[in-house]
Amino acid sequence: MTLPPLRIALAQIAPRLGLFDENLAVHRDLLRQARADGAGLVVFPELGLTGYLLQDLASEVAIRLDDPRLASLAAETDGLSAVVSFVEESGDHRLFIAAALLEDGEIRHVHRKLFLPTYGLFDERRFFAAGDVLRATPSRLGVGLGLAVCEDFWHLAVPELLALDGAQMLINVSSSPGRDLAATNEVGLGTATSWQTLIRTYAQLTTSFVVFCNRVGVDESISFWGGSEVIAPSGEALFTAPLFEEGLFSVDVSLADVRRERVTLPLLRDERPEWAVRELTRIVAERGGLAHDSTADGWAEPGLDVAPGERLERPIGFRPKDARRDGAEDGAAEPAAAAAADAADAADAADAAKAAKAAER
Amino acid sequence: MTAPQAELFDLPVELAIDTAVARRVIAQFIQGQLRQAGFERLVLGLSGGIDSALVAFLSTEAIGAERLLCVLMPYRTSSEASLVDARSVVDALGCASEVVEISPMVDAYFAADPDATPLRRGNFMARQRMAVLYDRSVTWGGLVVGTGNKTESLIGYTTLFGDSACAFNPIGDLYKSQVRQVSLDIGVPEAIIRKAPSADLWPGQTDEAEAGFSYPALDRLLFWRIDKRRSVDEVVALGFDRALVERIDRMVAGAEFKRQVPPIAKLGPRTAGVDYLYPRRRPGSTRG
Repeated sequence: MTLPPLRIALAQIAPRLGLFDENLAVHRDLLRQARADGAGLVVFPELGLTGYLLQDLASEVAIRLDDPRLASLAAETDGLSAVVSFVEESGDHRLFIAAALLEDGEIRHVHRKLFLPTYGLFDERRFFAAGDVLRATPSRLGVGLGLAVCEDFWHLAVPELLALDGAQMLINVSSSPGRDLAATNEVGLGTATSWQTLIRTYAQLTTSFVVFCNRVGVDESISFWGGSEVIAPSGEALFTAPLFEEGLFSVDVSLADVRRERVTLPLLRDERPEWAVRELTRIVAERGGLAHDSTADGWAEPGLDVAPGERLERPIGFRPKDARRDGAEDGAAEPAAAAAADAADAADAADAAKAAKAAER
Repeated sequence: MTAPQAELFDLPVELAIDTAVARRVIAQFIQGQLRQAGFERLVLGLSGGIDSALVAFLSTEAIGAERLLCVLMPYRTSSEASLVDARSVVDALGCASEVVEISPMVDAYFAADPDATPLRRGNFMARQRMAVLYDRSVTWGGLVVGTGNKTESLIGYTTLFGDSACAFNPIGDLYKSQVRQVSLDIGVPEAIIRKAPSADLWPGQTDEAEAGFSYPALDRLLFWRIDKRRSVDEVVALGFDRALVERIDRMVAGAEFKRQVPPIAKLGPRTAGVDYLYPRRRPGSTRG
């Protein structure tokens, strides 16, 4: 299959906080402009339809997927792909930060932000529900797309799973607040340096295009830095938008670059998802206290990784009394002996001794 | 010809920022604040010191001199040099300015209380200036822009509802050393950058003499303790005197109340600042 060249338009806008209809009008205008300019894909930033720092406004600007305003925007995408972002209210009234793929007049895919930063200057989990689903989506562009929202990209599994699921272009829409102005940073802004490193690395490791659209403008105290980018599957930056400047920026790419890169550098071919699943299953069991954790202290309670300095008479409370590990009583695993033995073995021995004891009772 | 930075002030290397980025962020911050509030003009109190001079320059860069009013509010003991320096900023920018003597207002209040301490007088002057600025906010039709820096806010070297009162503050996250760095970059008159910082509440007063430490050292300490989350032991290992570190820690903790909105007793279902949380400027909040 021959893929035609694709013009990507990055809508690096400054949404007005809480003013849905104004932002919607801007989206419509820019979609028309991008189409007139020959774009095949138009990407808007995270919460481009609502603004970012909504707090209790979130419920007031939330829309359902059957909202006519969203349909009216989709109607502008005949022969065009667009990624837009808004507050989505589910049928059971949870609020999500969502990004939707609109194509040929329809809503083709919705991604709900998986990771909601609630630390430092962020407070998203207070106001939003986290998504549970990550899926690559087919598109009219002839390649699979992988949608992600801002913080989703600070978790390695997200780009990896999207690529394994068939995405050849990862699209991250962001409202990234600029901070850390230290003069030692490459572009004078720590946040920008971090993001640039991230998305080049993801492009290279997933041998996919990465499209990053970050907003500009100000919500309250925080300024968003823009710097939207398109990165080739080789990790090379094809385009970097100016910092802090509003604009609609066009970038031409050849989607055939994905094939070339993946033939040259078959990293995805060599991925071993079944192995990753096995190890993840084990790690989840350990963290859930359902399996022995090899990196925990020898006699730590299941689910905890630090043991109290001395072995307790009673367990901390994660297991029933009968099943507790009271090695001190049977002498086989005195603290001194346990210290001498391999930590994991000692724990196993204690488990065995306890199982025997339980059987006796 | 501008003197090189090293000749004018000491800039700790870890505090150096990209001034072009800072100016860009601050300019759009000012524009954003005005747009969200539905205002087009700004008013500020110009003391002749570096902080308010820098804010005047930054405001001019963001919205143009014709939309800025600088109010000079000397008290009879204020130094003549302060007024001269303040005028040099107005001249350099070409913005509107006005002199409002606060001596009659302040003296009228203390006439019945001649033994009032310098601290009380200083605080009263700061609050009198605030009252004038908020009145001019109406006559000029502009928001009051704050001029306090991060260093003085952290150690509490401000008057509550006085010099710290404002609609928004563009330099409140810049340490004094960084205020100097941006000031040099944006063209604040050298005499202002060079002189010793002072609240100018009584003759000869300087911040550093009053507090007993230098700004570059204090800025460095605050940067490592607060921005970089270093423990007391860790900053002592960096070379700071333990007694100074502990004293500054107490000042920072003691000034927490000055940096926050006063708590409201929680009684009803939704309480401002607790579980009624809206952007300060939101749809419907603009004038007119």
